[in-house]
Order: sequence, then C-alpha cells, then structure tokens
Amino acid sequence: MSQKMTWKEMKKAFPDEWLLIIDYERDQFGNISSGIVERHSPSKDEVYKLPAVKKPAAFEYTGESTFRGFRDHAEHHCF
Amino acid sequence: MPNITVFDPKEHHIRLVGSMKTADSIDYEFRAILDTGAPWSEFSDQFLLAVGMFNSQNPPPAVRPSLQTQKYDKLVLPQVKICGHVIPKMLVYISHFENHWGVDALIGLDFFRRFRVTVDYKPGHLLTDPL
Repeated sequence: MSQKMTWKEMKKAFPDEWLLIIDYERDQFGNISSGIVERHSPSKDEVYKLPAVKKPAAFEYTGESTFRGFRDHAEHHCF
Repeated sequence: MPNITVFDPKEHHIRLVGSMKTADSIDYEFRAILDTGAPWSEFSDQFLLAVGMFNSQNPPPAVRPSLQTQKYDKLVLPQVKICGHVIPKMLVYISHFENHWGVDALIGLDFFRRFRVTVDYKPGHLLTDPL
C-alpha cells in the first residue's frame, strides 16, 4: 500500500480502524490531511505491533473517540 | 512570547499532536488529550511498545471499575515535544488505554506545573510558555 490518500479517503476506506501513516501532512488543527497508510486494522494491537517503522510515522483512529475522562467517573459516581 | 497551538474547539476535548524522538532519532507523532483530570501524563503501552520504548512480556493489568486507564509503570522518555516545547527526559506513566479512545497520551497536570497554560477556547488557541 503506497498510495497517498486524503484523510477523508482514509476514513471512507478504513472506517473505525487504526492506521499507521507515513509521509503525512497535517492541517492547522494538527489533523492528518493526507498521507500514506502503511498499516490498518480494526485491532489496535495489529497496527501497533512490532517491527516499528524506521521512519517518522503517525498513529490515527478513524472512528469516534469514546474518551470521556473524569466526566465519565463523575456521572457514574457523583450524581 | 508564548507558543500558540491551535486546536479545534468543535471537538469534545482539547486534542493535540505531540511527537517523541526515540534513542535512534526517529520522530513518532502521537495524538493526545489535554487532561486536567490526570495528575501526571500517561502514555499508552501499545504506542510505547510500537516505537520500541517499552517491552513488556506481561499482559497489562485489568482496568479497575470506574477508571478508564490503569497506570502500571513509569518511564523516562528521552525527548517529547508538546505544543512546540521540547521536553527532555519526561517522566510519564505507562497505562493501558481503551482501544476506542483514539489517542495515545493524556497530557496531565505535570505539564501545567512546567508551563503557563492559557486556553482561549473560542478561537481554539492554547498559549503556553515555560514557568
């Protein structure tokens, strides 16, 4: 896989997957705007497994983040 | 003059991109959330494993009820860059993150102890300068 894709194309091609991206560019917010998907999988372990790529790389997730932080704790235990 | 880091105020959290330089001088970028609920910065064990900074043969401990991460070790990272500031020898906690968080680091209050952080939320500006 060595084709440069936009982030929109990556999200469409690999929904709810983890990606290892090389040769990437980012927009003003730090979001990936384009790059080459070196690895992809719904399993984070699969994408993060060794061997490491020996060049600058970024890890991204195409799904919605479920992070809720302390709010999650508070909703379950304080209210 | 403080560094100005732009974030997307439409996101649910202040999401940042940081980078870590490994011992063999390769930069790996990671997604992070600025988390004032975290006393110390935490990095995901999967990310640290992937970039060769952590090597554990043991499975991570189970996450206790009511928590979303489980800190279980510490590590000094040789060089981390957050909001444009290079932080040498950054002590971080190693945690196992939920797979669907979509991030590999929580930047916690230790960052606020080292930098003056001003959040200008409406335009999505994070102003940071060393204390």
